[in-house]
Amino acid sequence: MIDRGTTASTVKERAQLALNDDFLRKAVKFTTERLRNGKEAAAEQHGNWEEWRERGKQIRLHTIAYLDYYLNLFADNARANGVHVHFAETADEAVKITLAIAEHRGARSVVKSKSMVTEELHLNRALESIGVEAVETDLGEYIIQLAGETPSHIIIPAIHKNRYQIADLLSAEAGEILPPDTAILAGFVRRKLREKFLEADIGMTGCNFAIAETGSMVLFENEGNARMVTTVPKTQITLMGMERIIPSWADLEVMATLLPRSATGQKMTVYMSGITGPKRKHDADGPEEMHIIIVDNGRSLQLGDPEFQELLNCIRCGACLNACPVYRHIGGHAYGGTYSGPIGAVLTPALNGNVAEWDDIANASSLCGACYEACPVKIPLHEMLVYLRRRKVEAGRGSKAESLGMKGFAAVMGGARRYRTALKLAQLGQKLVVRDGGIRMKVGPLKGWSSYRVTPALADRSFRQRWDTLEQEIRSGLSEIDPTVQKRMEQKRQERGQEQGGHGHA
Amino acid sequence: MKVSLFITCLGDALYPRVGEAMARLLARNGVVLDFPRVQTCCGQPAFNSGYWKEARTTARTILEAFEDSDFVISPSGSCTGMIHHYPKLFENEPVWLEKAENLQRKSYEFTQFLVQVMGITDVGASFPFKVTYHPSCHGSRLLGVREEPLELMRNVKGLELVPLPFAEDCCGFGGTFAVKMADISGAMVTEKTDHVLESEAEVLVGLDMACLMNIAGNLRYRGGAVRVIHLAELLEEGVSRHDR
Amino acid sequence: MPDTERSWLAEMESRSLAKQEAFINGIAAKLQRPRVLDKPAHPFRGAPDFWQTFEWPVTERIERFTENFRSAGGHVSRLPDLDAARSFIAGKAAEMEARHILRQDGPELEALNLEGCLPEPVRVAVWNREPGDNWKERAAEADFGVVYADYAAAYTGSITVLSDAGKGRSVSLLPTVLMAIVPVERLKTRLGEILGDFDRSGTGALPAGIHFISGPSRSADIENDLTIGVHGPGIVYALIIG
Repeated sequence: MIDRGTTASTVKERAQLALNDDFLRKAVKFTTERLRNGKEAAAEQHGNWEEWRERGKQIRLHTIAYLDYYLNLFADNARANGVHVHFAETADEAVKITLAIAEHRGARSVVKSKSMVTEELHLNRALESIGVEAVETDLGEYIIQLAGETPSHIIIPAIHKNRYQIADLLSAEAGEILPPDTAILAGFVRRKLREKFLEADIGMTGCNFAIAETGSMVLFENEGNARMVTTVPKTQITLMGMERIIPSWADLEVMATLLPRSATGQKMTVYMSGITGPKRKHDADGPEEMHIIIVDNGRSLQLGDPEFQELLNCIRCGACLNACPVYRHIGGHAYGGTYSGPIGAVLTPALNGNVAEWDDIANASSLCGACYEACPVKIPLHEMLVYLRRRKVEAGRGSKAESLGMKGFAAVMGGARRYRTALKLAQLGQKLVVRDGGIRMKVGPLKGWSSYRVTPALADRSFRQRWDTLEQEIRSGLSEIDPTVQKRMEQKRQERGQEQGGHGHA
Repeated sequence: MKVSLFITCLGDALYPRVGEAMARLLARNGVVLDFPRVQTCCGQPAFNSGYWKEARTTARTILEAFEDSDFVISPSGSCTGMIHHYPKLFENEPVWLEKAENLQRKSYEFTQFLVQVMGITDVGASFPFKVTYHPSCHGSRLLGVREEPLELMRNVKGLELVPLPFAEDCCGFGGTFAVKMADISGAMVTEKTDHVLESEAEVLVGLDMACLMNIAGNLRYRGGAVRVIHLAELLEEGVSRHDR
Repeated sequence: MPDTERSWLAEMESRSLAKQEAFINGIAAKLQRPRVLDKPAHPFRGAPDFWQTFEWPVTERIERFTENFRSAGGHVSRLPDLDAARSFIAGKAAEMEARHILRQDGPELEALNLEGCLPEPVRVAVWNREPGDNWKERAAEADFGVVYADYAAAYTGSITVLSDAGKGRSVSLLPTVLMAIVPVERLKTRLGEILGDFDRSGTGALPAGIHFISGPSRSADIENDLTIGVHGPGIVYALIIG
């Protein structure tokens, strides 16, 4: 089911392609930097950001902890509003339900607003297989669709394309040469898609949040295409991940505070729409028939798993992508799945339940924690990446060489005597390779490392070899401790008797 | 009171001068460090790669080494950060879990100890150079060590702290990441040293020898002439300079 | 709808109800506890406490709304009354050579009497006045859409429009230019003051469409270069009255 985008089969190979694509790297770097700065400025201006993050996290934790209650409530209320609610455990089921609706409505065309769930399901391909035209209407998604690619960023799908490439794609569609001018290109898309909106039989959307207590679904967007899709066609189909729920409109205020700021640095997206059921009897627009398909597709695998349940808290803002130094260098397609960046590195194996096959994307992280820091609902992605790596090892799917290396590591480091011996041997052995205090040899597993760095030599005498001399020196030159410092230290020692956990861990 | 040094394996084998600087600096302030020799490595390379069994084997040496210490200080935010993972690592071994929780409570990164515990923000150093600072990810993000080093540097006479562009970005080390994903890591460290060179600093200072080894190694590979040292070294050198 | 379709929908419905039971029970099982049937206590509902009491005085609400709406690319004018709004819209219609104007129905815009004051060849249509007309197409050909806002929020620079028979969603969406009249007493400080009303009205009383609009339609999907007027109105006026 997974579309890897390119023929390269590992993250390492795909990353290699990206690293050699200067344009891609520049484009991704430029945009993520801008979004990241925008987010930081917006959070700063709003103020009390940590309290809002904590609130967002608590609301999401609470909802997921009682997901059976809230999802059931949502479904009942949506039905009461006149919505046809469907449940799909697998991607396959979700696709079948969608196609059945399209067939029964005799649909020839579907207009879609941005939805990552439909990307997960590869729904466009499925619709086309029964002769239904599926048109992406978000500008970035439309460009990607014309290029026959998949989105490389949750928020900015065409982040990896420049205006010249986009002008070529749109010119082919227009049948005339369009200049690489953003306003002209967007103008062409507006006219072209207007026709599509007006003639489409079905409007299809994702769902940012679903409000349990009133059975409403909420969409955030800037272009107005999601409004078009939910206003003009006669039938609306919404695909939502089963975890998109929040209890109330009051909780939406918190999400509306966190999502646009974290995604693009906006105080608010241009449009936030709450849709509660199909059009009312006397309304002259809005869908006559509305379906909501609630999709599991691997999400429930995280429920009850203490290490991964928080993954369901994600609000799909893309802030972790913008903060991630790895994403910045390799872009989204290198991750190989529907979701990219730090969230994708965890979500793809988690949703597919096949940690071992996807573990290489878990390796594509330096564990720097920038994702966690950026996350508006505080998902510890950097820790989850380590859990994924551990699960692969525990499943006996680790690499042989690495496993051997780690056994050796534990053998040497498992006791100070063996460590000391090994260190002495290494001090002797390195004489063969050290030149001018450094090692430049590009062989074995260190070849990659040495292609970018000179490794320092081991010290002639290690710290532990120097300690006796040093201890004598410091004892002889010791100053008197300041009594206030002494008192402070005593106090700190006593205080921690009461405190839970450690200090730090911001 | 027993203040023990958790030297870390890099600090022991590659950069003993950092531990020496810490010991001298603390002695100047009336604290004699204790150095338990049974310690080896915190186990982070194994832990981060998913080899938790192996990580536990080495972590036990640390738990045993510091069992009766009052404070445990290290020159690395990342290794101290690893100690914060011990309770998770030993969650199914009650006896070791208790030791892990105890150790976590008394472990500090060096500047954290100096500023938060001892209340020292001015060590009486002078260091008349242009310095830039790389805040390592684990120290700043996971331990929350942000202001401490800056405060210490602000009180060093003659030190001109110049901003490092995109300072908070990871240097690309990430342990085995630098080996397994060498080209991504290489791109990251190259971007970092671009920024170091752009800052026009004479000295790059940090709180984690792993990151500094990575950055210094790339600077040397590229032929960049920036001196790379740990903040403890800078402070100790600055105090002896001041004394002269 | 033909009977076959009706029975198909009914069949889907009964299948969905059966599936719902299994699906929800499955979630409870995964969470390793019996199914929760009663409303759980939700101690973190809504914004943090300090936020709930935050409110600007009306002059500041107007200032901040204006600042935010403008920085998103929208236009704001403060006008004393509906007469001023009428001349403002008439003036803009002349200036931009608008031909088709579509307005929502309702007593306030009836009182505005745009129809009576705009000279030929300008045509003013009233949403859903004559049933059977294709109102979506009428909206798509309109140069101006005129709406009377239900709410506005100063903190985010947003106006809110709710749908009903006389208040089509298309009026604020399909025309080239959007004119939104915002009576000053409907201008709140925070989004939460507005959202709270939807919780209070609850299921069954909500309109089909609730739309927050915070400026002209925009996109930054091409090289992060801001483009205005991608699908929705590219020119948006908020006219604060009073």
